Amino acid sequence: MKRVLIVDDAMFIRLTLKLMLEKNGFEIIGEAENGTVAVTKYQQLKPDIVTMDITMPELDGISAVKQIKALDDKANIVMVSSMGMELMVRDAILAGAKDFILKPFQEENVIKVLNKIKV
Amino acid sequence: MAGDGMSREPMLEMYLFEGNQLIEQLEEIIIKGEKAKKFEMAAINEIFRIMHTIKGSSAMMMFNNISKVAHSMEDLFFFIRANQNVQIDFASLSDLILAGIDFIKGEMSKIEEGQAADGQSEELIGEINTLLSQMKASYEIENSAPATVSTSTPDGQKAKYYISSYQAPSEDQVTKYCVQVFFEEDCQMENIRAYMVINNLKDIVSEMYHIPMDVIDNADSSEIIREEGFLISFSTTVSYAEVESTLNQTAFLRKMEINEVTEYPDQIKALQKRKEIILEDTEPVYCPPRTETVETEREGETTTTTNRQQNIISVAVNKLDMLMDIVGEIVISEAMVTKNPDLAGLKLDGFSKAARQLRKLTDELQDIVMSIRMMPVSMVFQKMNRIVRDMSKKLGKEVDLEIVGEATEVDKNIIDHLSDPLMHLIRNAMDHGLESKEDRVDAGKPAKGKITLEARNAGGEVLIIVRDDGKGLNRDKILNKARERGLVTKPDSEITDKEVFSYILLAGFSTNEQVTEFSGRGVGMDVVTKNIEKIGGSITIESVFGKGTEIFVKIPLTLAIIDGIEVGVGKSRYTIPTISIRESFRMNEKDVIDDGDGNEMIMIRGTCYPVLRIHRMFAIKNAIENIDNGIMVMIETDSKAACLFVDKLIGEQQVVVKALPKYIKKVEGIAGCTILGDGGISLILDATGILERQLS
Repeated sequence: MKRVLIVDDAMFIRLTLKLMLEKNGFEIIGEAENGTVAVTKYQQLKPDIVTMDITMPELDGISAVKQIKALDDKANIVMVSSMGMELMVRDAILAGAKDFILKPFQEENVIKVLNKIKV
Repeated sequence: MAGDGMSREPMLEMYLFEGNQLIEQLEEIIIKGEKAKKFEMAAINEIFRIMHTIKGSSAMMMFNNISKVAHSMEDLFFFIRANQNVQIDFASLSDLILAGIDFIKGEMSKIEEGQAADGQSEELIGEINTLLSQMKASYEIENSAPATVSTSTPDGQKAKYYISSYQAPSEDQVTKYCVQVFFEEDCQMENIRAYMVINNLKDIVSEMYHIPMDVIDNADSSEIIREEGFLISFSTTVSYAEVESTLNQTAFLRKMEINEVTEYPDQIKALQKRKEIILEDTEPVYCPPRTETVETEREGETTTTTNRQQNIISVAVNKLDMLMDIVGEIVISEAMVTKNPDLAGLKLDGFSKAARQLRKLTDELQDIVMSIRMMPVSMVFQKMNRIVRDMSKKLGKEVDLEIVGEATEVDKNIIDHLSDPLMHLIRNAMDHGLESKEDRVDAGKPAKGKITLEARNAGGEVLIIVRDDGKGLNRDKILNKARERGLVTKPDSEITDKEVFSYILLAGFSTNEQVTEFSGRGVGMDVVTKNIEKIGGSITIESVFGKGTEIFVKIPLTLAIIDGIEVGVGKSRYTIPTISIRESFRMNEKDVIDDGDGNEMIMIRGTCYPVLRIHRMFAIKNAIENIDNGIMVMIETDSKAACLFVDKLIGEQQVVVKALPKYIKKVEGIAGCTILGDGGISLILDATGILERQLS
């Protein structure tokens, strides 16, 4: 079972993702509400996959990707972004994110992206 | 926050909870900013982030009108953030954003009530967009130099041609490939998908060209990729299988053709020529250093307000209610065990020691659960800023709202009932309390009025004070009106100010001739009183004519535990909240006066009080009928009093209030029930309800 860390400042999005992923056989091993917490939890939990929001307080998603990648080059991070944020998604991918999901997301697409990630 | 948490979808519940929280936060920031005529960078970031979150969550829940409004506001603040020195018309900006907040609030409360969120948002969005284009226009005039920030590339077109850095061609066999990729139709952001393909390939290829070239920066590239596919040509030394697996890392591939070629197709060759002009052999050329900094900043700015939330979790209130309930029962069970009659006459040294320890722990447990339920009044207090702001605009009165002691904590259930009464009191103070600017100046006061909203702990209670420096209450006018209505029974000299002012708390009592949009219809103060009494509180008023009015609202810290006097009627036991009891005494049957309609009264110190026999009220058998043998308990609310006739007083104790089970219909006069130490049940009488029941 793939172990996932969900990072988003919106509780609602965290819950939505959690429900979707659990239904599809992923294990949610942790949640983080900003980039700083995400980096700490990444070290503690060593998840297989991280879903990462971009706009967050404290530390944004792109910086968090950079920090996590610096800790673990093999980290699998999927960005969760809104429409119209192409440049930021590109930056995230440059920083090492593997893929991205667009809000509002559909379950089917989320699962498709996460299944592509080879653990 | 939301009504019945149990029955709703957890996602919807979370959406509403978080949405409401964010909107309130936003309102606070906007009002602060408007007052200060300045938005700090942190505030702008916070606003942007809040709108961004609401936009995203609402879109997920398919509340598109909310999402659209949030989106337009997000755009507005994105612009402000990027152009910090832009001239802002604070009044219209705040008005517009507050209108947006109201719209979202309205839609959310519709959703909360199970209705469709079908509000019309077009007009509002139109206004927001107009304001944005006005800002943009005026900004461009001021800064005729090229805009400092935009998502377009400042460095000219050529820099956009992206040709990756490649390993130097090795001696191995180099194969040329031409790949055409089509993505699934609804995958969105095709340009980024294409970029990912490039990104994945760049480590295994020695050169690469693709069409469209500028996948990220050209707004049309998504469209082109959607229609014509994404064409990539590259040279590599790795095997076909590896090329294929690298390409397959990308999600949402609908169709992919991989061809080994001897020569690149013509379109690509055309590109090759241009490459010579701009070839770079270092790191990949990504165009815009400038855009990048802006974008990073857009994401990177942080705010302070969320820091404190880190170690806080949200818990559904009904869970806390359940916890409180269980703790209440543990407290009772503890008494049932340690005071069990079976223990009588036994030698209990060890038992007593253990029982004391248990007692200590249950007390601690109870304290902690109580404290979990406590919330600062700040949320309710901060709401008043908005009321004051809106009203001062409409009434043309300048007002300062001072908030004192907003960290004071009370039980969550009480907080929920505080908002409406306070809103009323603040409105009254704004409308009737404070004079117009001219009148204030004439009276030698500062033109700007002042309202203070204060909370502080007072023993086991919380005192909330609404104070204004307005014209004060007109004692004579109130007294005359009270006389007209036959409310006054004493001569003027004996009636205190407090009594006079308390008349305005009665239903239908208004001395205000003018009915305004906000108040003066004679409904209001009595509703405030009723709401406050419902949560076990009381209101008193002090006022100095010409100087101002102070309204004191006293509320209990919690509703869950009350001090009560237990009384017996027949075999039943009732608990009367100590706060409602004035006195208890014995009477003689002959002192009871019958008014002829079967209503009984007694005269005490010259005042007549109705007598209510609890055994009649609740049809209890085998109760004491003769007044001589029972006891009277006088209960009162702020405006009324009556004597309850019961068999006997049993004792005073703290009781844990439990709601009546749902299958018992709501009985007027019963506030709930409690379980006694011996396992018996005692109904808790509600003074307000009883007095009302008696009148009707």
